[in-house]
Amino acid sequence: MIQLLHKWGTFMNKTTFTGSAVQNALKSKITKITFVLLGLIVISSLASEYFLTFYNIQSVTRDLAFVSIIAIAQSCLLLLGELDLSVGKIAALCGILSGLLMVQYKVPPVLAIVICILLGALFGLLNGLIITGLKLNAMIVTIGMQSVYGGIILVLTRGKAITNIPKGISFLGSGSIAGIPVPFLFMLLILTGIIFLVKFTRFGRYIYAIGNSREAATILGIKTNRVRLGVYALVGMVSAFAGLLMVARLGTAQPSIGDSWPLNGIAAAVIGGVALTGGDGNPLGALIGAMIISIIQNMIVLFGINIYWQTAVSGIVVVLAISIDPLTNLLRNAQKKRARNKELKVRQ
Amino acid sequence: MEIMRTHKVSKRFPGVLALNGVDLVVETGKIHCIVGENGAGKSTLIKILTGLYEPDEGDVFIDGKSVRLDSRLFGRVAYVPQELDQFENMTVADNLFMPLQSSDVNSFLIRKSRLQSLAVPWLEKFQISAGPEQLARDISVSEQQLLQIARGMVNDSAQILLLDEPTTSLTTKDTQRLFEVVRQLKDSGKAIIFISHKIEEIFQLADEITVLRNGEKVAHSRAEEVDIAWVIRQMVGREIDQTISYASENVSDEVLLDVENLTGDIFSGVGFQLRKGEILGFSGLVGSGRSEVMQAILGYLPVWSGSVLLDGKSWKFGDTHFSVENGYIYLPEERKRQGILPYMSVRKNLTISLLEQVSNRFALSGKREAALSREIVEAYNIKAASLEQQIRFLSGGNQQKVIIGRSMYSRPKVLVFDEPTKGIDVGTKTEIYRLMKKLAEETGIGIILISSEIEEVMRCANRIATMYNGRLAGIFDTANSDKSAILNSIIGVA
Repeated sequence: MIQLLHKWGTFMNKTTFTGSAVQNALKSKITKITFVLLGLIVISSLASEYFLTFYNIQSVTRDLAFVSIIAIAQSCLLLLGELDLSVGKIAALCGILSGLLMVQYKVPPVLAIVICILLGALFGLLNGLIITGLKLNAMIVTIGMQSVYGGIILVLTRGKAITNIPKGISFLGSGSIAGIPVPFLFMLLILTGIIFLVKFTRFGRYIYAIGNSREAATILGIKTNRVRLGVYALVGMVSAFAGLLMVARLGTAQPSIGDSWPLNGIAAAVIGGVALTGGDGNPLGALIGAMIISIIQNMIVLFGINIYWQTAVSGIVVVLAISIDPLTNLLRNAQKKRARNKELKVRQ
Repeated sequence: MEIMRTHKVSKRFPGVLALNGVDLVVETGKIHCIVGENGAGKSTLIKILTGLYEPDEGDVFIDGKSVRLDSRLFGRVAYVPQELDQFENMTVADNLFMPLQSSDVNSFLIRKSRLQSLAVPWLEKFQISAGPEQLARDISVSEQQLLQIARGMVNDSAQILLLDEPTTSLTTKDTQRLFEVVRQLKDSGKAIIFISHKIEEIFQLADEITVLRNGEKVAHSRAEEVDIAWVIRQMVGREIDQTISYASENVSDEVLLDVENLTGDIFSGVGFQLRKGEILGFSGLVGSGRSEVMQAILGYLPVWSGSVLLDGKSWKFGDTHFSVENGYIYLPEERKRQGILPYMSVRKNLTISLLEQVSNRFALSGKREAALSREIVEAYNIKAASLEQQIRFLSGGNQQKVIIGRSMYSRPKVLVFDEPTKGIDVGTKTEIYRLMKKLAEETGIGIILISSEIEEVMRCANRIATMYNGRLAGIFDTANSDKSAILNSIIGVA
């Protein structure tokens, strides 16, 4: 295994020389991780005859859509060098609120959805205001806010799901267009929008600049806090939308929606080459990372492995996937050192 | 007696050969000074001598044994870095014995009283007057410097003491105290490597002098056989006419920047005027408040009272966006942390403050962005492998030119250069001087030049403002004042 990893590392190094755009593209983390994904797809389809069936693909892409949406949004915050751990609870709270609006207050579904998406932006903005205004650490604040939002959910629902969600919106969660699950299409739409935002607008360029060095960005006259607030609001908004899609899919608004989203979303982004330290990466990587996680989870199901192992195995895979780069570096350095020591001994 | 030697060590970084075949012999009971301009390879050599870098070629021998075969040999080298890195919230005694491994204090339980009584003789030996129980953050800078040296020598096996620019932040008096301690150590048989770029200082101390230039060892001599002029010649590689002035010759009478009674966290009552086309030098010791004043005007640091008028516009404090929009641009000393965006390309670094100019109605225009960045690269003679190269791989001088280039394209009225030639090689230095002069004369902007090198300020500035301890100490006309008066005002004697 380690030998294989090592060969992989040297292969990538040989094929990736500085210079032309093509070679630069080859060198990028996205390309490496895409190869990993393709390899995984090949292995999976050889290992299980069910993997490439239409039904399986459809079900995987539908599941995948939710964590991908979160991962893509979260990658914007990671680019800033920050993160929001309350995204799952924002999703759940907005889902619950939409349920209450539609079921108890008979608000038309479209209006309820719009209101709840805006509320999501507001919750994200609130996180951002606390973090930027009081100069606090994003992780600590959002852990705290996660409890706040979770607590409000419990107060509103006493832990029970809200049922009888109007059938009209179930298409958003469980429908398909030309065989493609609707949530997956929404995810592609969000991905396109966010890539446009970070790669082709001033706002996006400022996100990268702040992630590279907040001090330098401030000295350059960039309104750093405004950009940060904007991204927090965006992430809150997108999370709320994911929560609403989940409500539409389940037909009930459940308090447990999104429990696994924050960590899986960050893991997906990191696997996809988005640096936790900020300033480096591409939201597209977050999607590829999420695909890798989903396929592995799918394989666990297809192989009939005890479902209780699923969490542990996908955790191991996450850790392994992000270790590939540092591991190949370690091995390469060790080999270099050994070669040089040998040379020295020969000379003496 | 020889204790350490390097044999043809070379070290290469992307795009530069930082060290090229350097031989060095260090002997016990001698002080060996290594001098060279910024960028000559001193810091790379230090990192190799302390085992932080492995040379690409060549080898280091300590006590005749190769460190490649036994890296524990580096334990004999006590390194005192240029920046103070005390454990600020721990006591002097704790700092002295950190990491608590020397045989005297190495036990499972650490007793405070024992540590402190053990510290006393060390403090005496190194002429540190602070008590062992005081917190490191409460003692003076010079005492911290001495404490740092003492810490290096506490280690029983330390035989080689490597001092990296230890006098940068010391007054003349404290420097003498430090030298006395260093001479004592030499007499007790330690080998001392002393890195500096203050040539006058070196002659008070050195037994041997090695000169580095552009990564190569260009000269080596016993100190008594040579003089200051020889060292300068070797460092620079040619006769440098130190008299060429780069001051602006087109200073208008019109006041561009008018600062009155400005008070902030560590400075107070600062007032000065800058005219169009003028280069105003700011000189002072580290911590005297020079940079802080300029950063406060930028809006990066708080201002408690006072007023600023720029080109007739009254100033809003605490808003860097406002300052930049209105033409006040600050080029930071901490280039790596505050100037460049390290993981972004040269192109993105160039256009980050010019994005309005390269946008069309909906988005950034790749075409316009590429055209503008190519234009700046050519105008400022920036050497990069490609526009897409990450800026952290460029040399310090080229990074500086990227920062100057993008600043000039954002229509500045006042440019503040904070130590613009720090870490930059000699050739590029004069290029930057010439650039400042040209900018001031041709575009009529005002330039503020903050520098610790008094020679630099005297060559480039029309007037020199000096700061001491957070206050403006004096403003001198460069043409009619002599160096010693300015120096005195910097160290607070005047």
